[in-house]
Amino acid sequence: MSTTDHQSGWKNILLRYETLLLAVLVVEWLFFYHYGTTTNRRGVFVGFGTLDRQFDILRHSCEIGLLALALTPVILTAGIDLSVGSLLGLCAILFGKLWRDGGLTIPVAAALTLVAGALGGGLNAGLITVLRLPPLIVTLGTYSLFRGLAEAITHGAVTYTDFPASFLFLGQERWLGLPTQAWLFLPVAAAVWLLVHGTATGRSLRAIGFSPEGARYAGLPVERRVALVYVLSGFIAAVAALIYTARLGQAKADAGTGYELFAITAVVLGGTSIFGGRGSVTGTLLGVAAIAVLKSGLATLPVVIRLNAAEEMSGMLTGALLLLALTGSILPKILSTLRARRQAG
Amino acid sequence: MRDETSTALLVLQGIKKNYGAVRALQGVDFDLRAGEVHALLGENGAGKSTLINIITGARSPDAGTLTLAGRPLGALSPALARSLGIACVHQQPALFAELTVAENIGLRLEAGGAWRRVDWRRRAAQAAELLQRVGAEFSADRTVRELSMPEQQLVEIACVLGAGSRIVIMDEPTASLTRREQEKLYEIVRSLRAVGTGVVYISHRLEEIRVLADRVTVLRDGVSVGTSAVGEVTEPELIKLMVGREVSLTQRAAGATPGAVRLAVKNLSCIAGGVRDVTFEIRAGEIFGLAGLVGAGRTELARTLFGLTPADAGRLQVDGRDIAIRSPGEAIAAGLAYVPEDRRRHGVILEMPIAQNMTLAVHSRLFPGGWLRAGPELSVAAKFIGDLSIKVAGPDAPGASLSGGNQQKVALARWLATKPRVLILDEPTQGVDVGAKGEIHRIIRRLAADGLAVLLISSDLPEVLALSDRLGVMRGGTLTASLPGDSDPHTVMAAALGQPS
Repeated sequence: MSTTDHQSGWKNILLRYETLLLAVLVVEWLFFYHYGTTTNRRGVFVGFGTLDRQFDILRHSCEIGLLALALTPVILTAGIDLSVGSLLGLCAILFGKLWRDGGLTIPVAAALTLVAGALGGGLNAGLITVLRLPPLIVTLGTYSLFRGLAEAITHGAVTYTDFPASFLFLGQERWLGLPTQAWLFLPVAAAVWLLVHGTATGRSLRAIGFSPEGARYAGLPVERRVALVYVLSGFIAAVAALIYTARLGQAKADAGTGYELFAITAVVLGGTSIFGGRGSVTGTLLGVAAIAVLKSGLATLPVVIRLNAAEEMSGMLTGALLLLALTGSILPKILSTLRARRQAG
Repeated sequence: MRDETSTALLVLQGIKKNYGAVRALQGVDFDLRAGEVHALLGENGAGKSTLINIITGARSPDAGTLTLAGRPLGALSPALARSLGIACVHQQPALFAELTVAENIGLRLEAGGAWRRVDWRRRAAQAAELLQRVGAEFSADRTVRELSMPEQQLVEIACVLGAGSRIVIMDEPTASLTRREQEKLYEIVRSLRAVGTGVVYISHRLEEIRVLADRVTVLRDGVSVGTSAVGEVTEPELIKLMVGREVSLTQRAAGATPGAVRLAVKNLSCIAGGVRDVTFEIRAGEIFGLAGLVGAGRTELARTLFGLTPADAGRLQVDGRDIAIRSPGEAIAAGLAYVPEDRRRHGVILEMPIAQNMTLAVHSRLFPGGWLRAGPELSVAAKFIGDLSIKVAGPDAPGASLSGGNQQKVALARWLATKPRVLILDEPTQGVDVGAKGEIHRIIRRLAADGLAVLLISSDLPEVLALSDRLGVMRGGTLTASLPGDSDPHTVMAAALGQPS
């Protein structure tokens, strides 16, 4: 796999935003390892440093991780998809209904759910590319539409439960040492990575993100490419819905509420420009990990446990981390401007 | 030289300016007298923009002195420069697109203050008067967004007139103007000169400097290499000063024998694009020039041919085969290539490395199966960097880091990489310095000699006449005349204006 989208040389690698983010992640992890790990009265190792906790982090980051992967190509084209969280909810409900009320087997219901996810993404794609409506408005609309549909199907009350153990295995057990869903997450991550960094399609997504008119003049099929990223986004949201349902063992209309914002945060934290063109899947994965470690780690800090403030703290610190990372990413630019000004003055 | 300093309005001595490691100006001497038009010539990157920025106070020099009417100037700021009567008409009009012409003029000319009340009637009257003085034919109530680029430029000039400036800098003001608008601009410049204003006039068009300017100063590589009265220097001498070597500009190529008909266009129309009933053909190895005024429909014709605004009537044949083009992708498949007019927005993607820019239209050929491969991409980049002698740090350098002429070559390389049968060039040398212009002309001739059919759209009449084997003139969206390549410029201009010659 060779690609010219990556700059080579150790200096470039060191200066890359992803390297900075990796360093932040390592520091963050070591911090929680140090302050969040204790031995209880019976002398058992508990808290952040346990292997169980690490698997737990992985397990919990799969759904938001998938949505962040779905959003990376979208944001590369300078678009946005706010509907992924709602589509996750709708797909979870559809899956539950197809299986329990429709009497379908789990694999058939799952396959139909994936198709439904792609169709949901297709609705976004159609509105954006055929009617040329702005992605922000379109997906703000489908954000409400998909959630509303999920609530209408369940009358806001029905919860689908009692899924067979063979299905729950996907969300709650381990396979070959790793949480089972990780085996679904990894190939999706690899596929999105290849799409973005290894294919001509990925290259054209960047071109569209930088300049949609420039891409059109270069003869690139702009509408088809843009449609693809939204359909893909919907499809991946459906994958996330299956994993979500398997992890919690239930499908409710409020599944995945607010996930779109976590996912966007992870993508932006990962260094993908909201204006399109620039960004990487590696960055997105690091962004997801940084947020997941923060969230899980905070819950193991004694002081946070005493204050019972894990949720609040993680919200505040995620925001702070995002702002800090963005400031850090433009720091070289600020420094060079200052230097130029000093030389000029 | 007491005499000279007493009439000198502005004197610059030994101006130096570095941007980091780039030495933009390395000692420039320049003086402007009251009531003269002083042309500033130089290739792109010679330091003209930096010099303008120093005169308008946007940048401060690292070394050197500025003297205004005998008084040394210390640190200059844009506000101070304005209050001293220095004004600039920039190449790209910097107006508020959503406001009306009168509002834009008011914002420039009226005193500030957050609570100042606007006297709308006075503002409208002033705007109308200024527009009339610059010969604008649009109302001051128009929103700037609705105006064409030349019209916006007239608004800029109106602002400068209204400010009553002592020193007016004009940065390529005629680049996008039609002939008639140019004449009007010349009149304005002459009337400024008549009232004792000093005009610094920047242009790439030598013929216009000849008719307009009193003196000319040439900048090369950040140094002023010579100042002389316009009458005392010939065009070849000026070109030689600018580029440091002799360049032939208007030499016609020996007429090669064209091959079979490559592109045949019959009764092509596109209502939405404003193209009506166009018929012409181009043979292999032939350069077909397309002359006409700005807005005559030449770019629109190119966009229709390339599928950006697909045709709704007419026939198109490439090498005798009927084809339908509904998208740029289909145009490329049919063997058409289009180097667009606006290279910064359409020709190259500025943020992308130049290697990626060059391969953008050949993904399917270069990357079988859709997988990116660095090897073929870099070899395409290396080939064209060499063939077109593109000056660039490396294939990874972003398009934005290149000068205008080199960006144009990258745009050209992208389309040559498609190995086209028909090449459409839209203003290929607009805003390109003289040296690069000569190179691009040689490249176009070479491509035609290799058997390509070239459709050349250019508002630079000497360029069209020098390059074309045959030429067509467009007016009102249709082809009104078909002329031989060695036509007289007056004939072409008369056809473009719709007058009998």
